[in-house]
Amino acid sequence: MKHIARIASSMTHKGALLPVALVTVLAACDFDVVNPGRVQEEFLFEVEAQQAIVKGIGRAASEAQNWVGYTGAAITREVHPSGSTGSFGITVEWQNGELDYETVNTHWNLSQRARWWGDDGVAKIMETGASEQSLLAEAYLWAGYAYRLLGENFCVSVIDGESAGARSVYYDRAIARFDQAASLGSGEMAMAAVAGRAAVKAFMGDWAGAVSDASGIPDGFVWEMPYFDTEGDATRNRIQFATQNEPYKAHTQKFTKYEDYAQSDNNPAGDPRVPYRVTDETGDAAVQCCGQVPWWPQQKYTNAGDNIPLSKGTEMRMIEAEAMLVSGEWQGAMDKINALRSAAGVEAATASNAAEAWTALKHERGIVTWLEGRRLGDFFRWNRDNTPGDRHPLEMPSGSQHEGSHLVQQDLCFPIARGEVDTNPNINGPTG
Amino acid sequence: MVNRLLESVRSRGSGAAFAGAALLAFALAVPAVAHAQDGTVTGSVTDAASQRPVGSVQVHLVGTGLGTLSRDNGRFIILNVPPGDYTLRAERIGFTAVEAQITVGAGGTVQQDFNLSAQALGLDEIVVTGTAGAARRREVGNSVSQLNIEEEVVAPPQNVDALLQGRVPGMSVTQSSASVGGGAMIRLRGNVSMTQSNQPLIYVDGVRVRSSGFAKNVPPIGYSGRSNNDVSSPLNSISPQDIERVEVIKGAAATTLYGTEASAGVIQIFTKRGSVGEATWTGQINQGLARNLTFGPDPSLRPPSENPTSLSGGRSDFLFINPWLRGHKPKCDDAIVVADQPCDSGLFSDMGAHQQNYALSVGGGAENIRYFVSGAFESDDGVLPNDHEDKLILRGNFTFSPREDLQLQWNTSYTNDQLAHTAGGNNAHGMTLNTFRRDRNYLNDESFNAINPFLNQEITTQIDHLITGLTATYSPMANFSNRLSIGYDLAQQDNRNLRPFGFIRAPTGILATSRYEFNTLTFDYVGSMDVELPSGIRSALSFGGQSVTTRSEVTTAYGDNFPGPGDPDVDNAGNTLGFEDRTRVVNAGLFVESKFDFSNKYFLIAGVRVDGNSAFGADFGFQAYPKVSGSYIISDEDFWNEGWGSMKLRAAWGQAGRAPGAFDAVRTFGAAGWGGVPAFLPSNVGNPEVGPETTTELEAGFEGSFVDDRLALDFTYFTQNTAQALFSVRQIPSLGFTSSQLANVGELANSGMELGLTYSIIRNDTWTWDIGSTLSLHDSEIISLGGSPSFSIGGFGWVVEGHPAPVIRSDCVTNPDAHADPIIEDDCYHGPNQATTIAGMHTTFQLPGGITIAARAEYQGGAFMSNGPQAAATRRSVRWAGCFEAYNTWETQGYAALTAEERARCDLQFYQSDFSIQPADFFKIRELSFQAPLPEAWASMAGASRANVTISGRNFFRWVDPLMRTLDPEVGGNVGFNTRVRSMTEHVPPPAFYTFALQVVF
Repeated sequence: MKHIARIASSMTHKGALLPVALVTVLAACDFDVVNPGRVQEEFLFEVEAQQAIVKGIGRAASEAQNWVGYTGAAITREVHPSGSTGSFGITVEWQNGELDYETVNTHWNLSQRARWWGDDGVAKIMETGASEQSLLAEAYLWAGYAYRLLGENFCVSVIDGESAGARSVYYDRAIARFDQAASLGSGEMAMAAVAGRAAVKAFMGDWAGAVSDASGIPDGFVWEMPYFDTEGDATRNRIQFATQNEPYKAHTQKFTKYEDYAQSDNNPAGDPRVPYRVTDETGDAAVQCCGQVPWWPQQKYTNAGDNIPLSKGTEMRMIEAEAMLVSGEWQGAMDKINALRSAAGVEAATASNAAEAWTALKHERGIVTWLEGRRLGDFFRWNRDNTPGDRHPLEMPSGSQHEGSHLVQQDLCFPIARGEVDTNPNINGPTG
Repeated sequence: MVNRLLESVRSRGSGAAFAGAALLAFALAVPAVAHAQDGTVTGSVTDAASQRPVGSVQVHLVGTGLGTLSRDNGRFIILNVPPGDYTLRAERIGFTAVEAQITVGAGGTVQQDFNLSAQALGLDEIVVTGTAGAARRREVGNSVSQLNIEEEVVAPPQNVDALLQGRVPGMSVTQSSASVGGGAMIRLRGNVSMTQSNQPLIYVDGVRVRSSGFAKNVPPIGYSGRSNNDVSSPLNSISPQDIERVEVIKGAAATTLYGTEASAGVIQIFTKRGSVGEATWTGQINQGLARNLTFGPDPSLRPPSENPTSLSGGRSDFLFINPWLRGHKPKCDDAIVVADQPCDSGLFSDMGAHQQNYALSVGGGAENIRYFVSGAFESDDGVLPNDHEDKLILRGNFTFSPREDLQLQWNTSYTNDQLAHTAGGNNAHGMTLNTFRRDRNYLNDESFNAINPFLNQEITTQIDHLITGLTATYSPMANFSNRLSIGYDLAQQDNRNLRPFGFIRAPTGILATSRYEFNTLTFDYVGSMDVELPSGIRSALSFGGQSVTTRSEVTTAYGDNFPGPGDPDVDNAGNTLGFEDRTRVVNAGLFVESKFDFSNKYFLIAGVRVDGNSAFGADFGFQAYPKVSGSYIISDEDFWNEGWGSMKLRAAWGQAGRAPGAFDAVRTFGAAGWGGVPAFLPSNVGNPEVGPETTTELEAGFEGSFVDDRLALDFTYFTQNTAQALFSVRQIPSLGFTSSQLANVGELANSGMELGLTYSIIRNDTWTWDIGSTLSLHDSEIISLGGSPSFSIGGFGWVVEGHPAPVIRSDCVTNPDAHADPIIEDDCYHGPNQATTIAGMHTTFQLPGGITIAARAEYQGGAFMSNGPQAAATRRSVRWAGCFEAYNTWETQGYAALTAEERARCDLQFYQSDFSIQPADFFKIRELSFQAPLPEAWASMAGASRANVTISGRNFFRWVDPLMRTLDPEVGGNVGFNTRVRSMTEHVPPPAFYTFALQVVF
């Protein structure tokens, strides 16, 4: 202590208060830095934040839809891989039809985020008090679609870090949110909620409920997930951007069932609902099955800002047709199918029995919902329900990389991703 | 005369000329200020071995406070010396101090020359870095590496990275690509953090300088690789010619006083200062070439089905890019060369990328003011066709002593760096990727005319970098001093990235311009008081504080869909977007340190620093970092035989930290757009308890000189433990936040040893031959993940308990040598990503006539990294050059002759990117140089006191592990050296450099 006292005395003696003052200043440093840019949670409980919360829920759902829909399209051969395995490509595993739990982290994460944010966002709005009922309805609507995406595409459910549950948990939650959206919303938004609910009920096998909801939706109704070509990759229509020539050319209609069927440069009289373009180029790289593949890009979406339909009147007609098939009214189902084909300017489909009618429906539903992220779920439930009728051979696994669809296998739902398995103590593996 | 000169220039109205003349006038005028009434001591200092002049030698009259530094020509002058008898002492790092007795008469001048001999161990050398105020080497308990540039560096390096490469035990300096101006990753004793930067802190003359790389030049949306995919280093804003010495301290035991952010070590650069006396001018001209060594398989290994060259004339040993590579173009008479294709027409037409550097400096001063002013201009082509760098560096260092007890030092440098780059790395719009992938590139065409349009992408960067610092040293009493430093590091970066209208992969054009500003404001105060304690113990108490405020701001304008050709700006675009990001981090700390000196033989230093940081969580508070070290000059003991040499034993223990990122503590939602309306997305979970990770280090070792000062040994053993390590704790995705959250949950350890050895095999008046080596062995291990799951940090780098930090993990083939299909095992652990063995070798010959020949080589081993270009090519069915040997076997001997490893790596049916992991061992000759003085008569014809020429080659010989069949371990990823895991993307490796230099001293 004497040592320190002597030093202090010397310093004071010489008037050397400068260091003391500096030390004092430094000690009083203000560490409370608030950086701009990111929003702290407390601000989300303000009324003014509600619109951005709702749009955020929508955007989260759109990103999930983007990834799940594109990969599902590859597995079901709505598109065939023709190139890049990188950023916008179809991985070697997906080319073979395999949905390995190590390769689907992004799909899982985005879908879970959309689901969680839908629920959490609604809770925040409810806690604050909704500024407008329509905003709350929209939040419920996007949340409903987020749950529908999960229910149609993922094998088992996981909610908020708990253990795995039945897939039906997603359906039930989707219906609850669509119910809220339908009752709080109005106009097209309410109609979208009813149409979304019809699809979920169909998936659950509640055909009466599905038809009841579907019947109120006119043929021309369309509710879309918005995409934008001006805000970066996350909000671009991924299926479109992956195949446009800048630079990926990642998928093609070559080797799909649409190659000979659809309207194209080779077949102007083909079905205009599934158009593609014939080019003399090949995909941006060779793929495992077939080397360099002719690049015949789909033309349903021609711009990365094109929206993806989530619910449509035509889909409702297909629900009604399928309900008829389930109840044995296959002629009535064919009438429904052909009404749509007639409206599209395509020749009528024929069937001489229920099984052929089921084949026609499976084909037609693929056309109606082409590249809308629905095909994987359809395949799953038709397999689950052991429905009659056939899918096109180019939609089925051929067991070999080198023939037919080039699908070695065909996984019909996304497993729990490795990221969830690794972090959630209640989950023991890809199936829960 | 001076006034006339200034007036003459002013009348011509040229500002630049006036500034230059003012500088000249200043240089001429300052010595005239000297007093004339007392005596003068003057003389010169030369190296006893080479007879070359030695600059920056401290020459002083012992016990008087009078002294100076010798200038670059070895001359010194001490003015205003009262008449009397004195001991004149000359000392400098790396040389044995020499004394002479002199008598100064009234108004007289004493001439005293010195011949200094190299000294293996300088116990009384002054060390600054890591100590509170200066300390003698004998007092310091931790390892400090000092590079005395003038003595140890023969050939002029291209930049500071090259200067440091292969010189310091425990330091790894690795480049990332051939991109001109690209910076290097620097690691001291490996990685101490798995989530934060492991690049050491950089100080220049006491001013904290940004150590992370500058920003990559890439548009803010779209794939993040539409770039040259390398970054510049702030370290290279310093001209190597301006550097006097470099001090490196490597671990927490030494860096405690730097507190939070210092656990990865500190590099401090000291630039030159003027000496009392007339101005000494030094001019230097460097002319050189950069050329690549081959980085692919010899064309003779190609399988029968392969053409010997690509359609553009590329060869497999350059992965087919040589038609665009300066120095390796095909001969013009080659039939494959198409119209307008650049080619090699014969002698000197395609020797390589031209490098040129011109430097001029002047230093001098009077008793109370000294100056060093320099300028350097560098104009370098890169080996890739669009690559070019023009760099201007200006420096002014001024030392002013208005009173006996006050010294002001103002050091300022300004660098203007203008860079143009070729799109490279993993970039589908880039030259390198599309060339490496041959006819299965994004054009399905490997011809020259198909690929050449990729050069139309313009990637230009301008960096203006100002580093300025003012240090006031006030010593009101002989035993009490105060030093206050204010430092400001300001870098402004202007990036422009244009794919013009009509660009081959973006036909309607894309333009992004970004303006970055990085600045660091430092306030640093140190007070030191020497106190004589009872029993002859001397003590020095130091105390102080430091505040470092770091800001980073960027504004970016983006546009695409241009209406037509032309030279656009963003507002010509059909779509325009704007982006902005600003962060500010404040770190401040106080410290106290006490040093005890027992008989000038035993030393003990103890201290503590306490830090706060704006990135710490609200619940965290402050962090204390204690330290203690001791040194023991055993050779000063009575029992020590003087003939044994001298030796110091040392040990140090201390802590330092790394702060979390600016946003890690708080739960945030990202403000994103969705079709023009605002949208919130979950972003960061937040952790109010997050604080710094704390690295504790214990190091012990010895330094000694033996065998008549011919053998120098420096040995250090160290062990580090990073507790509360910041690990990226993966969140449960079903809880909504999908990004990882930093938490202080982990623990990792490093340990190793470093050995430095130099030996003078021959040392006499005409010859010296020195050899030396350094050896660093290093191991790391993740001790604990704190219950959180293992996590990836990219590039197959994983953080897994019980494995190196990080470990390279991938699926692997368990029967690699079998002639069978591969048996594949999940999650194999290959080894660390950082080298575990670094060995350096160097030798210097000094021959009669002042000729010097020096060589330096480096080996790094034990690391593994992913060869990304191989993986990306193979999965796209590209005929990858690295598989030529396997294809050859396949085609000539049949599939059955392929091993399982070859099948996994080269046959697409077994493809996994996991099979791209390769050992990254390499050996390179970092430098071979020859230096000779020009005859004095030639020098005097130009009015110079001396001149010399140097011819050197750098990195012109390389050995790599045979399993790395393509590229080079010094090829990095898409973010340059700002990466935690070294992995390769589609870059051209760093080239070799061949330089001729002429230096003239006036």
